[in-house]
Amino acid sequence: MKKKLVSVFMVVFLITALFAGCGQTDDTTDTSTEDTSTDDTSTQDTSTEDTSTDDTSTEENGAYTGELSLMHFSTSEESEGNGGSDGFRTMVTEWDEANPDITLVQNVLANDDYKTQIATLAAADDLPDVFLLQGMNTRAWAEQGLVMDMTEIINSSPYNDQYDHSFFFPFTYNDSIYGLPVLTGGTTTVVVYDQAIWQEAGYDTFPETWDEVMEADAFFEEQGMDTIAFGNSGKWQANSCFLSAVGNRFTGNDWFYSMVDKSGAAFTDQEFVDSLQFTQDIFTSGVFNPDFNAINNEDARELFIAGDASAFIGGNWDVSYIQSVLEGTEMYDTTKFAVIPQPAGADATTRTHAIGMGFAVAINSKLADNPEKLAAAIDLAYKVTGPDFAEYVGANYALGGLTKVDNVDLSNFDQFTVDFYNYSYVDNKACEIYDSYISSAVWDVLNTDLQMMLNGDIDPQTVAENAQASYEANY
Amino acid sequence: MLNSIRPKNRVIFAYLLIPVAIYVFAVFVPLVTAGYYSFFEWQGGPNKSFIGIENFKTLMNDEIFWMSFQHNIFLVIACIIGQIGLALLFVLMINSKLVKFKGIHRTFGFFPSTIAAVAIGFIWTMVFDYRRGILNWILEFIGQEEHTKVWLNEPDLVMLLIAIPLIWQFIGYFMIILLSAISSIDKSIIEVSEIDGANAVQRAIYIIIPLIKNTLLVCVTLCVAGNMKAFDHIFVMTTGGPGNASMVMALYGYKVSFMQQNMGYGSAISIGIFVLSLLVIGAFQLVTKVLSSDKEVV
Repeated sequence: MKKKLVSVFMVVFLITALFAGCGQTDDTTDTSTEDTSTDDTSTQDTSTEDTSTDDTSTEENGAYTGELSLMHFSTSEESEGNGGSDGFRTMVTEWDEANPDITLVQNVLANDDYKTQIATLAAADDLPDVFLLQGMNTRAWAEQGLVMDMTEIINSSPYNDQYDHSFFFPFTYNDSIYGLPVLTGGTTTVVVYDQAIWQEAGYDTFPETWDEVMEADAFFEEQGMDTIAFGNSGKWQANSCFLSAVGNRFTGNDWFYSMVDKSGAAFTDQEFVDSLQFTQDIFTSGVFNPDFNAINNEDARELFIAGDASAFIGGNWDVSYIQSVLEGTEMYDTTKFAVIPQPAGADATTRTHAIGMGFAVAINSKLADNPEKLAAAIDLAYKVTGPDFAEYVGANYALGGLTKVDNVDLSNFDQFTVDFYNYSYVDNKACEIYDSYISSAVWDVLNTDLQMMLNGDIDPQTVAENAQASYEANY
Repeated sequence: MLNSIRPKNRVIFAYLLIPVAIYVFAVFVPLVTAGYYSFFEWQGGPNKSFIGIENFKTLMNDEIFWMSFQHNIFLVIACIIGQIGLALLFVLMINSKLVKFKGIHRTFGFFPSTIAAVAIGFIWTMVFDYRRGILNWILEFIGQEEHTKVWLNEPDLVMLLIAIPLIWQFIGYFMIILLSAISSIDKSIIEVSEIDGANAVQRAIYIIIPLIKNTLLVCVTLCVAGNMKAFDHIFVMTTGGPGNASMVMALYGYKVSFMQQNMGYGSAISIGIFVLSLLVIGAFQLVTKVLSSDKEVV
């Protein structure tokens, strides 16, 4: 009798466990860490047993009470080193507390996992109510009707005249805007170098041309150091952190705008092929660490931190990490920033670095059926991209967001932060980040070929042709 | 005697229904839906347009897919020789009288196959690391410093380097299977052969291997099937890099579906993997059957 009871119990348990997995579409635990401990700075909610995320229980006065699902990648780990993430989480918490009748269900993943997961949800037409949209997916998802046209929402925003409108470009398709640029405008191409060591090599500031870098390379080789550390095992780094700026130096801004608009430019244009040729030459020259294709940017920046390399090329996420690690050490005072040096033969632009807001807050187009819920979603979108966010990140991190606020008080910040602020927003010229635009299919082909090209295994002309073929087929 | 405590047929059926349901849900349903989606052009999202067999025509002409197939075949051959060959060797060695602590050898042999493939991938990435990896350290230690290189960045070597952790992980798995097969051989046959003067190698080749032929066939099938869908190690170690030098079919399907957002074509690739795997396994079974058909063992 007891045995039968046990076996029946186990069968029931097995079946329940099966269907618990099936029924859950809202997972609110922080999946960037392996444990499922709740995080006290973000509001969490236990998932419901039904499979729909739309819980429309509206009151008669029109205010929305129910669930609103939000998906993003500002994990608690990320927010410890990254001002934009911290600001985002703070704004979401404030909004949640100000709207006690609305149950905000958050799904937070680390960035790489987020990108895969959101693409999967888009393919299944199961996107959350509010999520972060990457520039290169805008066109495809807008054509599919997955994301809501936010042009009117933006125009009627109370902060509209404070927005920096140049940031909207990656999220625009056919004159409609599909997202409110979120987080902080960060550079993706910056040279971080140790001024003390470079002074020993004979340079007070980082060289302005690559020829000078090659001369210094001999000095660093004697010291047993790499001149510049770079990590490209993820394949996107060479594109985002190097080619976006170097390509711009050869082609100028108009070429890329024409690529985005499909008005005549091509990857096979001579200036772009020249930039590819230069990239291949510099990576095969030995200036970089020999294992650049086998390690990622996180390993490469550790080389710089440990003193195995005198400089590092990366993005603002790397700078946040370097700052959090080096703070208080001697190297903190001698770490400076520079633009990528000018390649020989590049004369379209100088001193440009790729900067922009890679992600925007977007709203699921299905919310058009539920005006109260839509209003709540719009309110959330305004909050996380508005002046509250900008003031928070400005006062705490010297970073900028979508909304311009005047008088960023830099006097509270140390030299490192002030230097980086000036590098990003003041001293240099901006150009666009390549993979905020066009489509992931094209960049995947280009990035894979790029990795081979940096080894010297494929020539730049073929890389350009393959990319052009993918561009014509997929964009 | 067993019939008296045997549960009713419908009880057995009810209990078995659950795992079968899980299997159908996890294996057959995705296969059928992948087959369905492969006839569409689908970039993710709700819009699909029916394009018939266009995806399959693209697949036939896709260089990268066929290169991945070659890499898979390379892995299959390397693993048959490595996993099954080495497993057989180890089992024969363990079974000999000279070896002590048989239990410990079995445990440690089986141990790697209990570790997640991702962890193994990371461990071996560290072994192959340029700066601090053990491989380069050993080369420097024995004075062969000029041979140190960035191992995972060598397009010619990378498939071989990836096969190594794959082989290492599953030797123990096949060891257990072969051990149970060998222990089912009647001891008297072995003893008689020893009396007749056969040494260990002759015993192995002429007596043991023919008697476990069926088990070997099963092992080969498992090995081939497993390696046609190899994914975890390669994803963690090189993501198919450098370029496409270590791309395998399952990883290519993943790349196209999720990184390039081309789900219709990705589904066609999945169907392609399925069909090719069936063909390869079928070919291997045919070859083994032909080789063993004239020496029928009852």
